[in-house]
Amino acid sequence: MGQYRVTVDTGGTFSDFVYVNEETDEVSIAKIPSTPDDPSRAILAGVQLLIDKGVMPDDITYFCHGTTVGTNALLEGKGVKTGLLVTKGFRGIYEVQEQSRPHGGVIFDILYDRPSLLVPASLTAEVPERVSFEGKVLEELDEKALRAALQPLKRAEVTSVAVSLLFSFLHPKHEQRVREIVLEEMPGVEVSLSSEVVPQIREYYRLSTTVINAYLQPILARYIANLEGRLTGAGVKTRQKYIMQSNGGMSTFAATAKKAVATVLSGPAGGITASVQACRTTGLQNLITFDMGGTSCDVALIKDGEPSVSHRGKIDGRDIALPMIDINTVSAGGGTLARVDRFGALEVGPQSAGAVPGPACYGRGGTQPTITDCNLVLGYLGEDNFLGGKMKLDRKAAWAAVESVAKPLGMDVQDAAEGIVRIINVKMQEAVKAISTMRGHDLRDFHLLAFGGAGPLHSGRIAADLNMAGVIVPLFPGVYSAMGLVMSDVKHDYVRSRMTKVASVDEAFVDAQFADLVAHAREELKAEGFAESAIEIERSLDMRYAGQGYEISVPLPDKLTAGALATLRKQFDELHRSQFGHTAPHEPVEIVSYRLRGIGRVPPVKLPEFKPQGLKTPDAIREHRDMRFDGKTLSCPVYQREKLDIGATFTGPCVIDQLDCTTVVFPGQSVLVDNHKNMIITMGGA
Amino acid sequence: MASAAKKTVDAVELEIIRASLDGIVQEMQNSLFRTGFSTIIRESQDASCAIMNPQGDVIAQHVVLPLHIGAFPACCGAVIRSYDDIAEGDAFLINHPYDGGSPHAPDMAVITPVFFKGELVGFTGSIAHKSDIGGPVPGSCSGQAKETFNEGLHLPAVRYQHKFVENKEILRIVAANSRTPELVLGDIRGQLGSSRLGEQRLGELIGKFGRDNAVACFARLIELAEQRMRAAIAEWKDGRYEAERFVDDDGVDAGKPVRIHVVVEKKGDQIRFDFSGSADQTKGPANIRPPTVRAAIGYVLVSLIDPNTFINSGVLRAFDINAREGSVLNPRFPAPVNTYNPTVHALVEALYGALTDIVPDMARADGCGSRSIILGGRSTYTGKGYVQYEILGGGGGARAKKDGQSGTSVNQSNAKIAPIEIIESEFPTRVLRFELIPDSGGAGQYRGGLGIRREYLNLEDARFSIRSTKHVIAPEGAAHGGKGRTGDIIVNPDSDAAKQLPTRYADYPLKGGDQFRLLTPGGGGYGKGFARDPELVARDLNEGYVTPEGALRDYGVVAARQGDTFVVDAAATAKTRAGH
Repeated sequence: MGQYRVTVDTGGTFSDFVYVNEETDEVSIAKIPSTPDDPSRAILAGVQLLIDKGVMPDDITYFCHGTTVGTNALLEGKGVKTGLLVTKGFRGIYEVQEQSRPHGGVIFDILYDRPSLLVPASLTAEVPERVSFEGKVLEELDEKALRAALQPLKRAEVTSVAVSLLFSFLHPKHEQRVREIVLEEMPGVEVSLSSEVVPQIREYYRLSTTVINAYLQPILARYIANLEGRLTGAGVKTRQKYIMQSNGGMSTFAATAKKAVATVLSGPAGGITASVQACRTTGLQNLITFDMGGTSCDVALIKDGEPSVSHRGKIDGRDIALPMIDINTVSAGGGTLARVDRFGALEVGPQSAGAVPGPACYGRGGTQPTITDCNLVLGYLGEDNFLGGKMKLDRKAAWAAVESVAKPLGMDVQDAAEGIVRIINVKMQEAVKAISTMRGHDLRDFHLLAFGGAGPLHSGRIAADLNMAGVIVPLFPGVYSAMGLVMSDVKHDYVRSRMTKVASVDEAFVDAQFADLVAHAREELKAEGFAESAIEIERSLDMRYAGQGYEISVPLPDKLTAGALATLRKQFDELHRSQFGHTAPHEPVEIVSYRLRGIGRVPPVKLPEFKPQGLKTPDAIREHRDMRFDGKTLSCPVYQREKLDIGATFTGPCVIDQLDCTTVVFPGQSVLVDNHKNMIITMGGA
Repeated sequence: MASAAKKTVDAVELEIIRASLDGIVQEMQNSLFRTGFSTIIRESQDASCAIMNPQGDVIAQHVVLPLHIGAFPACCGAVIRSYDDIAEGDAFLINHPYDGGSPHAPDMAVITPVFFKGELVGFTGSIAHKSDIGGPVPGSCSGQAKETFNEGLHLPAVRYQHKFVENKEILRIVAANSRTPELVLGDIRGQLGSSRLGEQRLGELIGKFGRDNAVACFARLIELAEQRMRAAIAEWKDGRYEAERFVDDDGVDAGKPVRIHVVVEKKGDQIRFDFSGSADQTKGPANIRPPTVRAAIGYVLVSLIDPNTFINSGVLRAFDINAREGSVLNPRFPAPVNTYNPTVHALVEALYGALTDIVPDMARADGCGSRSIILGGRSTYTGKGYVQYEILGGGGGARAKKDGQSGTSVNQSNAKIAPIEIIESEFPTRVLRFELIPDSGGAGQYRGGLGIRREYLNLEDARFSIRSTKHVIAPEGAAHGGKGRTGDIIVNPDSDAAKQLPTRYADYPLKGGDQFRLLTPGGGGYGKGFARDPELVARDLNEGYVTPEGALRDYGVVAARQGDTFVVDAAATAKTRAGH
């Protein structure tokens, strides 16, 4: 039967599985209802599906899992009882947070409340100690006072403790000693040190990240231990068991159990990783990923085969300062609502019909028009083929809903539907611009890679409006995240903040700052079973003009030769110009943080290449349907994706239906099915 | 323009254009935040961006600082008034509070015209607070200034770029007048980059939809914003409402409170704000000019009507004002204006006070206002001049069904707090304490938010200035709620040489080794303290937000410690509360 890779991406409704036979390259997928009370049940069910086909559990040699266990616990406030230790006199760091409110409407909102503290003041204790900005000890750690301060936390039966002391990224010894004492006083608790979670300057962001880790870590550790036990019980004994992280890399079960915060924003990472792989199979190195679902749309940029990364993000108003794939989310999905106010202004979003009542055409009581209703009115969606025909859509209800908006505007119903779709497209286009043209990228060099339930419905128009090179619709757009889990690498991120004026140091100094980070990264990957030859190290520097507040990461070669810093400085100026449109070549430049990524290369899976079967393209046409394009109603073919052969070419206007997704091809656009069964859509002449 | 405004616009295109404008100002803002050089832009984010029509009316603004909605049209108007040869490739600088509309001189605007096929179709611009623009004290905001001539370099609308080339003379003048020339020029360059970005994208947008169509949509967006405000106002009950608030003093007439008074007359969809009863213009820098008054009213109306409505100059057209000339809200040149923020907070709170009867669900007690501390000197690390500038909030007012927020920015102020690790790495200072102040929130059925205590050790000689508020006159409670605790600033506290400084004070000579303690005010409470759920008081005791003495005094709650937690003594509490 061969050896298998199995991956599972657990979502709120379904757990998506991908199975790859490593000998035949055959890929199959499954969707199994999720089991939120214990997600591992659904996971085992998915593994069992494979075993039932006669595969020996021993032949599963690779397992990777995308989980929202940490994310959900955070969003629902169901983390563990956590304590916090701060430098004496500095409780305000957590209580005040950023001090400001988010930009936009919130500034006007009298009723706004910032997110509550994950650790209340009553479970926060102060540690007498102080380190200076140069990393010197100004006040020794008072161990006796610390032991006394811990007693109330102990009596409150705190199970996890976050420690975040001032300047600990320069002098971690105090935090390390605090951990020893905490473990002596409170045996069995988990301890998260800010100097380990994210040894980076800016106390609030470091503290917030560390608190989130402490709050979630025991939950994720327990979940992983349980899953590991169940998998082992089922005979899946491979050492290659991984969890997806927010940075787009995997981490071993054991490493994830210690750094739960690294999974919190990992939801979209699988799709991005699959997209990176698509760069290799299609040869198209520059992509904008476009993942549109029911309520929101995630876009990300991949340049030269590498996704862009950001070093800080927010979830539910809480700050996390860790490398994560830079994803821009906009409230735009199939369920997004349109309405008209009493002055005749048409608004689309940000409200969504959600799962209940959902779009009017679902027949669950919705009466306001959604994007899905518009797509049905326009003929892009059919009544009978939604979810492979499992769910019938009510075109009359959709029509009536759109009419409720069209009437007060004095518009034709189909014109209104087209208008609403144009508006939502513009909002998504702005989200794409924010991560591309706003940062100096030329969209003519990029393809739009569409996935998620609604992505391929809108991608053709968005790519055309943005003047992009084309669209890629992968073979399995509905389980694309799980596909990404098949082909990721292990990635561990390390950082160290040291304010350094570039002009005052030499190449050897910079290399020396990295030396122990590099050694540590190699050690960690070796301990996880990676051979020396499978380990790669990527270095970068967070740099800024002296006194500037925002850093740019500049990649660094493995070893700096003489003159490298001068080159680096020029590279920084160039990056600054390309991202922000101006530069200050005479201003001094400083390094704020030294960053390192340790990569453990997992042998790549070979995605299957298919050969033409001699199918005729017209035979893939299931029916013709009236569709509306730019105010004109045209009778257009509906293709069945499964019946399209390799090398098939055809032109729009048309749609392509598959089990969980519909692709719209606009007039003038043409489609080619490549030998990986991707559909490549080109924009045509004008 | 008039003919264009009459053109009916397509509802779909209108919303597309609106969404695109949102995207453009967002892009401008991102660019500015990321490239700002000074702590003020990069850490505190004291800057905002906008797109204006050819008359200078704001079509779209990225709302970071709501007051700038008033400043942009005034700055843009000055450019239009001063130049009849505005051409593509121009860029203008202006920071003059009287010629333009900057609240004070450090708020420098960069305005660039946008041309489409040779025709002026609008402006893009930004306003960003500069770390120092000259004058007697570092940071340019002297609490003792008696004329604008004591408030730094003032540029009326001047052409800073011509045909996309910098006018070096202007930049040299600016640089020569600042204690931190690199930061100021760096910030101006960042602003220019952001403006040019906006210019390019606005041009593309107009190209895409056609000039007439786009211009008609811009006009309609302003009209729509006004209509929405008026429609909501029409639903309010008619009547005459009145309220007043006081600012501690103006920095010159020590101890003399400055009255801000408003009468609101509301009938149908008309609403009029009459400030005639406000104090005469002040000798010290507590004055604010009408563009800022209008912006403050706009802020309050939007917050009461719909925080998520789109914001442009139309909001400011939905009401009328009367600000008596020669008063603190409409001073005559060259009355000083630099410490405008305390007056704006008092104004905003007087407005909320007056309108509370109309919109009771949105009632809210007063908050902490806003303050900045400024230290200037020569850095021991670099030898360069530096200005350490921090903006601090405190307690927010309690709301009709919610406690106030603690340690937060309030009202129209929204600066981030500067990270301690950044401040200490860049300036000769050390922070000794940073925490919330127990019992500082006004008592109430809903408690006011807590103020902040921040203490510093000054490592080198430095010149210290503070622009604060509510150190004398406490934040008011609402619906019989208690007052928030006042703020304070003390040099070398807990020593024989302890010295309390006034609310606004310029140029105190701090020595290396001096300490200072800043206490920021708490928010006012809502409803009677004795009506607060005793369990909530117990929670506040356990979290350290209220002391046992405060619980008894302000809430009539008797609680005893059992182990690590406070437990309410119900019988004793009922007794102390009886009769209240």
